[in-house]
Amino acid sequence: MKFIQNYKFLFLLLVIVFSCKLYKKDFDNPVDYNANDDLGIRAPALVFYPKTQTINQNEVIKIESVIVFHPDSLESFAGLHFSVQFPNSLLELDTIKPGLFITDTSNSTPLFTYNFDGSNQIDIYAYFLSETKLNIEGTGHIADIIFNSISTGTDSIYYDLDDCQMIKINDDEIQIMGKRGAEIIIQ
Amino acid sequence: MVRVLLSIFFLNNLFGASQDPTYLVFNHFDKEIPDAEKLLIENFNDSKFEFDASIKDIFSDLDSYDNPASSHMEMIKDLGEQYKVNFILLNKIEHKEDRFILDGLLFNTRSGGLIHRRKINLKHYLNGQINELVMWVGKTLGIQQQEWQENRESILFSDPESISYEKTPMGAAIRSLIAPGWGQAYSDKKVSAGVWFGVEASLSLAFVLSYLNYDKSAKGFLSNSVLYNGTDDEKLVAKYRSLAETDWDNHIIYSRLAIALASATGTGWVSNSIHAWIFGPRPYTNIYQEWDNSSKSNKG
Repeated sequence: MKFIQNYKFLFLLLVIVFSCKLYKKDFDNPVDYNANDDLGIRAPALVFYPKTQTINQNEVIKIESVIVFHPDSLESFAGLHFSVQFPNSLLELDTIKPGLFITDTSNSTPLFTYNFDGSNQIDIYAYFLSETKLNIEGTGHIADIIFNSISTGTDSIYYDLDDCQMIKINDDEIQIMGKRGAEIIIQ
Repeated sequence: MVRVLLSIFFLNNLFGASQDPTYLVFNHFDKEIPDAEKLLIENFNDSKFEFDASIKDIFSDLDSYDNPASSHMEMIKDLGEQYKVNFILLNKIEHKEDRFILDGLLFNTRSGGLIHRRKINLKHYLNGQINELVMWVGKTLGIQQQEWQENRESILFSDPESISYEKTPMGAAIRSLIAPGWGQAYSDKKVSAGVWFGVEASLSLAFVLSYLNYDKSAKGFLSNSVLYNGTDDEKLVAKYRSLAETDWDNHIIYSRLAIALASATGTGWVSNSIHAWIFGPRPYTNIYQEWDNSSKSNKG
């Protein structure tokens, strides 16, 4: 009986030891410059946040469009044009709102507008036209894109870099080096 | 107060004209044994005895040597030369509570080495000292009487199945498996018990602390990972990533440390039990049964 009690102790010791689970270090926030860099996505990059969303059919889904610069970058931009492609078999566009990054400056809110081709492409434009706030720099949230889910399935929303552009105050173009799409799962 | 009786007697062969071996005998008794010399003379009536209490202590430090058999070679040879004997016989009787321990040693004066030793530890053996003494002396002289053997056999178990040990190595092993050091304490090895308990307690404590640190780091990593994934703020992302990476590194270190310490604790625990069994209490002399004082008596 005493032996059994001690086997229980040794068993407990083994259980504790094997409960020392080692977790995988998986940092993959699209807003994280280092995570993107690990994936070979260079800055400045256009990304969506979050990278994956799972919703039920007929629910609303909000995706943030974000520009990611190197943390030490001092490069500023005064205007941008993002071209976004989305799966219209799963989603229909509801609305687009300017993001906090370009609206929380107390000095000025830029011109913000978008164009939807009625199918699956959205073009977003933002320009600082004020005399007090001419440009901004750094990583930030540009726009919220809100969709309605219309059927089940899995697909992705992504940028069409060929039609994307970012400019400085003097109209010089800032080359966009990378992009990340977002996965949408509707169940 | 313990009294040491020292006596020296020479067996007849010492002064005899024959070529038989000669012996010098020392008796060291911590208590007076009535009629010991008389009974020795009676049992070995061909011997001539001389008693001398001038030598107070001899070979008492024998067991402190790595090799007791060769520890006093020069002294033995000198005594052999001095008394012109072939062998020296030392009989020590020591009493501990209700036990007596007879330690008999036979030295060869030519080589100076210990050639034979007999240690007997007996309990409740009424007047057994004399019987065992004469048996030991008789064995060295090649004399054995049936009466001595019968006296001894009367205290032996007739049915080995009925033998029960007060303490056993297995008992020590089981105790040490339950609590490190208990088996050693049970075997009256207090220092060893303390060391084992201290080592195992320290290892167990270190293991528990490592595990708690691992657990804290792992939970911190998971928590900060959730916060990291749950924000789109560049500064918060960097902050939570840094915290999560620190926690991740710590959880790896403490996990390895906990596993190493658990292995050491487990191995030490089992080793402690094996140690308790190996060095556990064993009867190193004859198995005895309790002497019935009311019906038995013993004569040498």
